[in-house]
Amino acid sequence: MVNVIMTTPEQSVTERIERPAQPPVSAEPAPKLTFEAKNVSIWYGEKRAIENVSLDIASNAVTAIIGPSGCGKSTFLRALNRMHELVPKTRMDGTVLLHGEDLYSKTVDPAIVRRRVGMIFQKSNPFPTMTIGENVVVGLRLNGVRNQKFLNERLEKSLRMAALWDEVKDDLHKPGTSLSGGQQQRLCIARSLAVEPEVILMDEPCSALDPIATAKIEELIHELKAKYTIVTVTHNMQQAGRISDYTAFMYLGRLIEFGPTTKIFTNPTEKQTEDYITGRFG
Amino acid sequence: MVANRHILGTFDESLSALRNNVLMMAGLTERSLERAMKGLLDRDDDLCANAIADDEEIDQLEMQIDKDGVAILLRFQPVASDLRRVVAAMKLSSNLERMADQATTIARRARKLNQHPPLAEVELIRPLYEQAMSMFKDSVDAFVREDVDLGRAVVPRDEILDELNHSASRKLIERMAQDPEQLRGYLNLIFIGRCLERVGDHATNIAEEAVYAAAAQDIRHPSLTATT
Repeated sequence: MVNVIMTTPEQSVTERIERPAQPPVSAEPAPKLTFEAKNVSIWYGEKRAIENVSLDIASNAVTAIIGPSGCGKSTFLRALNRMHELVPKTRMDGTVLLHGEDLYSKTVDPAIVRRRVGMIFQKSNPFPTMTIGENVVVGLRLNGVRNQKFLNERLEKSLRMAALWDEVKDDLHKPGTSLSGGQQQRLCIARSLAVEPEVILMDEPCSALDPIATAKIEELIHELKAKYTIVTVTHNMQQAGRISDYTAFMYLGRLIEFGPTTKIFTNPTEKQTEDYITGRFG
Repeated sequence: MVANRHILGTFDESLSALRNNVLMMAGLTERSLERAMKGLLDRDDDLCANAIADDEEIDQLEMQIDKDGVAILLRFQPVASDLRRVVAAMKLSSNLERMADQATTIARRARKLNQHPPLAEVELIRPLYEQAMSMFKDSVDAFVREDVDLGRAVVPRDEILDELNHSASRKLIERMAQDPEQLRGYLNLIFIGRCLERVGDHATNIAEEAVYAAAAQDIRHPSLTATT
């Protein structure tokens, strides 16, 4: 937005240039929260994977979780849609609220949680026996939706949102696995979007992709955050710097530091964070 | 400066080479300013010629530091304190190069002055020189030692230098009116005073960069940062 300033001949050149409109100076409002995780600890059998992690996830923002392998970042991510419960002998302490509602309440069905909180994995995983179109709407079909017109509309809308429609609109009948790696990952994002989740979790979504496919996913993440809350785990520090608004650094199952990405990547408070992101760890 | 070793030895080597070049450039700039001013105060044309000749090496170092800085950004994508150090090093080199240009200008004007009988008023420039050089040395020290307090302390000293320059200029203008025959000489001294005042401005910039590199605090334009 540009304010065109009315000028008079007496004004200097610098006074006459067009200036971007300055928002009024005010205290930054506290972000609206999607998740509130409080004192979350998770054990796999005897092994404690994460310890007392408390983290608030802002709505319509991208939160990146970084840390070395085995630090618990994927476990924490999975705790946000109860996916970790699929591992036998898992135990969890603490609370996770989604829009103020306890995800782990006895009355909550984990299947419903996973519909509200979608997930994208490191390796794209389209269903190999299904076409591109079937892959996108499979979640809706499993939920009993049979109206073909509705399914077709949702199919196109999801593929457009995943920035894949133009590339596959004439090949919807072809197998999902016939697509390139980057397209398959966007197909999985479309599949996730089709059930209209509130949140999208991404576990290393670009680690198996080339730079162009990665750039497409990153652009997509940037567009999707207008509508969704996104939490992503990544080993790629530059990617975390590019795509995220907030960054959490985890180490040995603990949350070491959490804050705005620009702060974490220019002036982290904790020495462990500084050592990790600058490559001086261990 | 670097607490722990980087997992990539080549990164530490590159950062260290960049820093060494900045220190070498600072050393050469300091020597060049000293030679130019000694050339003026001792009426020594050889020292003036040396100060002018130093400029080429300083210019080469500026280009080398820019090249190395860009290469580090490209190859290693540094973050946090590493990123601040690289950015600060590149900004320092630009300020040092302009300081060395001031040394060249001082040396050229000193040579002109040396062609005429000595002027007692040259002593009016000495306090400016001492103030500018102490600011310069402290600003470079603040960068080298990552000393935030020292860096912050340099900034207000620029006002003293400005005042010294105004005062010297006023006196030299008065002398011009009293002794028009020496007008060119007094004018050269006024320009030399202005060069030293600019050296102080660059020292202030370096001190501000030192604070940014060490503590990620932007202390430039405090009136703006208070409102944003």
